[in-house]
Amino acid sequence: MRNWLCVVALLTALVGVKPLRAQGNYEIQVYGADTIEPKSTMVELHSNFTVDGQKNVVDGVYPTNHQLHETLEITQGLTNWSEVGFYVFTSWQDGHGVQWVGDHIRPRVRVPDSWHWPVGVSLSTEVGYQRAVYSPDTWTWEIRPIVDKYMGRWYWAVNPALERTWHGPDIKQGIGFSPAAKLSYDFSQKISGGIEYYADYGRLGAFDSLHNQEQQIFVVTDLNVSPKWEINIGVGVGPTAGTDHLIIKGILGRHFNWKKPSLLD
Amino acid sequence: MLKLSGLAVASAALAADAGQPSPADYTLDIAPYELEAGPHRTIRTIAYNGQVPGPLLRFQEGRPVTIDVRNQTATSEVVHWHGLFLPSSVDGAMEEGTPMILPGGRARYTFTPRPAGFRWYHTHIFAGKDLHKGQYTGEHGFLLIEPRDNPARYDQEFFLALHDWDGQLLASGDGAMDPAYEVSTINGRVLGFGEPLRVKAGEQVLLHILNSSPSEVHWLALSGHQFRVVALDGNQVPQPQVVSMLRLAPAERVSALVEMNHPGIWVMGEVRKHIMAAGMGIVVEYSGSSGKPQWDQPNQLIWDYLPFAAAGPSSPPQPDAVTIPLVIESKFAGHGAMDHWTINGKSYPDTESPILTTGQRYRLALINRSTNDHPVHLHRHSFELRRLAGHVQVRGVLKDTILLDAGTQVDVEFTANDPGPTLFHCHQQNHMDAGFMMIFQYA
Repeated sequence: MRNWLCVVALLTALVGVKPLRAQGNYEIQVYGADTIEPKSTMVELHSNFTVDGQKNVVDGVYPTNHQLHETLEITQGLTNWSEVGFYVFTSWQDGHGVQWVGDHIRPRVRVPDSWHWPVGVSLSTEVGYQRAVYSPDTWTWEIRPIVDKYMGRWYWAVNPALERTWHGPDIKQGIGFSPAAKLSYDFSQKISGGIEYYADYGRLGAFDSLHNQEQQIFVVTDLNVSPKWEINIGVGVGPTAGTDHLIIKGILGRHFNWKKPSLLD
Repeated sequence: MLKLSGLAVASAALAADAGQPSPADYTLDIAPYELEAGPHRTIRTIAYNGQVPGPLLRFQEGRPVTIDVRNQTATSEVVHWHGLFLPSSVDGAMEEGTPMILPGGRARYTFTPRPAGFRWYHTHIFAGKDLHKGQYTGEHGFLLIEPRDNPARYDQEFFLALHDWDGQLLASGDGAMDPAYEVSTINGRVLGFGEPLRVKAGEQVLLHILNSSPSEVHWLALSGHQFRVVALDGNQVPQPQVVSMLRLAPAERVSALVEMNHPGIWVMGEVRKHIMAAGMGIVVEYSGSSGKPQWDQPNQLIWDYLPFAAAGPSSPPQPDAVTIPLVIESKFAGHGAMDHWTINGKSYPDTESPILTTGQRYRLALINRSTNDHPVHLHRHSFELRRLAGHVQVRGVLKDTILLDAGTQVDVEFTANDPGPTLFHCHQQNHMDAGFMMIFQYA
């Protein structure tokens, strides 16, 4: 078994790892369809450490190996069916110190509860900039449909996201397909566990070879300790050459309600 | 026709069956109905006699009555006569032994109504996840058993039913799914859509208010006026009190006098803004007044059973009362499911069935260890409130439903004087469907 792992590690090092898209391993999260309620704010800290990633500079992009990404996400509820999120991406790495990576903005709308749809549905769009030393594509746009549902103790969500580069080497690539999905189970009221899947298949209609696609599977747990807090911890592996091979991720979120608490509302 | 006859009138019922059936005093048709709750707001539901609420039934206390019920729906039905002391065979709960009325079938309920007071009737079937069945429908109506003496002098009376519609299961703060509603009505209409209550200055108006909601507690205020509460669940209270607002848990009733001494056009409605916005309100219109209805938003929620209790020091529990502790807890069933409920650790139909002895006084120690409030209801009996949350000893308030606040204990006493299987349950449809139910048996 150990020999087999050594062979995989050697092949990986020889083939190299494709740099991930900027938001790819800065915010590793499958979105649920719900939005933040109006007059309230969700502040989340995404902490992702690449245990085993790209070890070389590729096209002027810093290697991801042993990078620690800290992303601050602030989401403000607008109405009971819309929100807008802001991101500040940072990276720490030995030799580079703490670096600002970029910023994104992400408006989102959802199907209101009053429509009585059998699944939760929302649509998110995300636009932003990231420095070229972290992503060769500096301006990107994403549109992300989100569908989810709770079924007893089970929960599933799919995010078939489409991406477009506005500035960078992939500008002529067209629309890329980057789906994500989640399946989890409530072991108790406070502890859920499951798997999350993230991928970047490349251009729609002309997918990259599997070898060059980004494919990641995370084993995750969600700790539902309080409606005010969001805690998600996971370990992910990327089996293809185009993926960082081992990432540890964590999300710590705090919900702030700005409405004066009133039993009359 | 399926025959359902109360033991007290069995011979009369049999005689009727032997020959040509005599006409019933009342007929209820259970059938699909489109309720026009508001402008462009039609709700497909099930109703009695094509109206919501169903027809007001006025019975004379002690005078036998027959009601023919026709079920024109695709689901088996049963009608529960809430707050009446009836034999189990006609009380209207399958769990007690009342036969269900099959789709397309008929039944004749024959019984001798008692006790006097404001009661009601409603469906008593399982709904589960279907929020368009059972108490989620329009199957509810007022029932007044005329007393020999009215509890108060009044010039006119109104019957008002608070109800919530178009429910769907949504995630709630406690991590489980709970019903949430789009529309809330009084007598099946949203605020401003139905007929106003027309009154005259100087009148004494008696309001009989019922919360027929499948799961929601409601708070009600009448701007510019106060309520003098004279009866709870149809039973006169020892000390009538003047209050600024009413709280009614599902299945609770309040009878209150209002002195119409403030001419104008007013709103009587739900105190909480989002439920008022969903439609729960009705206009009160003085004769000769005009203008827009006025609503003075209260700034707090106020209600307590205590002031209605008998004055003076409360007696301790009756020494001969047998205490039955009932501990209520929830069981998590997933963030995508409604909680399951247990009484003393077990869910219906596995709950205990305590054996009651006729004539014995019992004290139910209702211990709510959950984070939800529960309107608990005892069939076929009234109980006396004996201890309220905060260890307050009380006496004299007779009810059949009481709201048990989250994390509190309430004690009630009743005398086992109506032999037959007796259902005890939470009146929230989603709670009783998920195990919060038990049967008392008589020895």
